[in-house]
Amino acid sequence: MCDAKALRVLFKSPVTDDMIRFLTNTTLRVIPCAKETKSAYPSPPASPSRSSKRPLPSLMTFITRLVRYTNVYTSTLLTATCYLHKLQKILPKDAHGLPSTSHRIFLACLILSAKFHNDSSPQNRHWAEYTDGVFCLEDVNLMERQLLQLLNWDLRIEEEALYDSLEPLLEPIKHDLERSRKIMARNQYHQRNISVSSSTSTLVGTPSIQSLKSLPYLPKLPSLSRLSSWSSTSTPKTLSNKLTQMDASHVYSHNDYSTATLV
Amino acid sequence: MASSSQFKQLEKLGNGTYATVYKGLNKTTGVYVALKEVKLDSEEGTPSTAVREISLMKELKHENIVRLYDVIHTENKLTLVFEFMDNDLKKYMDSRIVGNTPYGFEMSLVKYFEWQLLQGVAFCHENRILHRDLKPQNLLINNKGQLKLGDFGLARAFGIPVNTFSSEVVTLWYRAPDVLMGSRTYSTSIDIWSCGCILAEMITGRPLFPGTNDEEQLKLIFETMGTSSERTWPGISNLPKYNAQQPQHLPKDLGALLQTQTREKMDLALVDLLYGLLQLNPDRRLSAKQALNHPWFAEYYQH
Repeated sequence: MCDAKALRVLFKSPVTDDMIRFLTNTTLRVIPCAKETKSAYPSPPASPSRSSKRPLPSLMTFITRLVRYTNVYTSTLLTATCYLHKLQKILPKDAHGLPSTSHRIFLACLILSAKFHNDSSPQNRHWAEYTDGVFCLEDVNLMERQLLQLLNWDLRIEEEALYDSLEPLLEPIKHDLERSRKIMARNQYHQRNISVSSSTSTLVGTPSIQSLKSLPYLPKLPSLSRLSSWSSTSTPKTLSNKLTQMDASHVYSHNDYSTATLV
Repeated sequence: MASSSQFKQLEKLGNGTYATVYKGLNKTTGVYVALKEVKLDSEEGTPSTAVREISLMKELKHENIVRLYDVIHTENKLTLVFEFMDNDLKKYMDSRIVGNTPYGFEMSLVKYFEWQLLQGVAFCHENRILHRDLKPQNLLINNKGQLKLGDFGLARAFGIPVNTFSSEVVTLWYRAPDVLMGSRTYSTSIDIWSCGCILAEMITGRPLFPGTNDEEQLKLIFETMGTSSERTWPGISNLPKYNAQQPQHLPKDLGALLQTQTREKMDLALVDLLYGLLQLNPDRRLSAKQALNHPWFAEYYQH
């Protein structure tokens, strides 16, 4: 019950830096990937066949851009985590990837999450554009096909899998929900005492409504209008700067999910 | 995973929404199959319809749902290997038109088909899947009188709190009034309305509400079933396309109406079931499970 409520709160909130950090770390754990240009021996530049590909951005920058360009729903984005976890279980222990493998894995998981969970979703041509030239359409089609085969087309997700996969993001919300519930219970108790002591019948009927109004129980969440504010307030550069400056222990900001009056 | 060389492609069976269907022969087993070929448009990648149809049908194993045996995925083509069925309900109904007059089925066959339809739908709903495109064309039948749900291209998993349900679902004639009015919070009741429309159509041989556009479709529904108000359907006035100026209609006697179009006897239990499936308010519509327990089906469950 608490998980279910927290999940709904999480899915209704805007995409945060913490979510992107969480997705980045989850993706990096799926398969160890070679670091780019960290080889002990110099190697010649890549063959010129696949035209003008951009250098590979960090995974976090890559995800940040995808999120910003697509205005993807929080639920679609976070549900991709379940596919990442499935993949981690499927891949052989000794598997390792190229520098771009984690980028491919993330993008393919996000594409399939969008195609499976939404009634309308971008075409692969658009996804390729959203990568800023990192991947071409053929790359995107191939990674999608490979992921479908690896997952054996099994894209259904149970709510329990979401609780497990998103536990680090759900925990603080559950904590907040519990706290507001306690505050509300206390206020109700308090109000009831007042009404009893003043023995007016008019107050007896109202305390719960009163406390609901005055207390930040289930927060009024920033709605989908977040989408416009997201793109207007943060350019990819400032966002990725912000991301890199973030303290690793700062996993979740409580204020994000509850109204300011709570704290 | 099968390869396409395993199957011999035979005659074309039809064009689906996003695919062409051929009859096929499994050369190793000698079993006939239906091969649904999806041309892959490189711009789109794997169509989301195929992604859903495959992932949802793969695990749906029920005698009233067409079995998906295998998937062959190459760069240019995606082939879904299905259980072969002889016919679909639409073609079968069309084959019974004499001159210009459609004839419904004998009541025993209507009942057997509707029973199987509801069994298949109940199984989908138990597995938290909405079909969202139930209509005679998508109900496949074979020479043994079996009926199976096919074409899950619009199907969707429900239950987990993901967003964006579209109201652009279900073929117009079989679309529920709440969906016609733009509801995006529908659930299993969306399929039940279609089951009601199909039941009436099997009885008379004619579509129950053959509208040509959204407005006319709603008008046809209200003219027969009566108009709703906040009193009979709390929340109706909040639906995006609710029209408060809608001319008011009293419900007609559906049993009497259908009786004029069939030689079979419309008994009271049948009319009652129709009303249960065709409730305007989605919350008042029967569930598939409830419909299967309806007295009209007593001969099937009382053994």
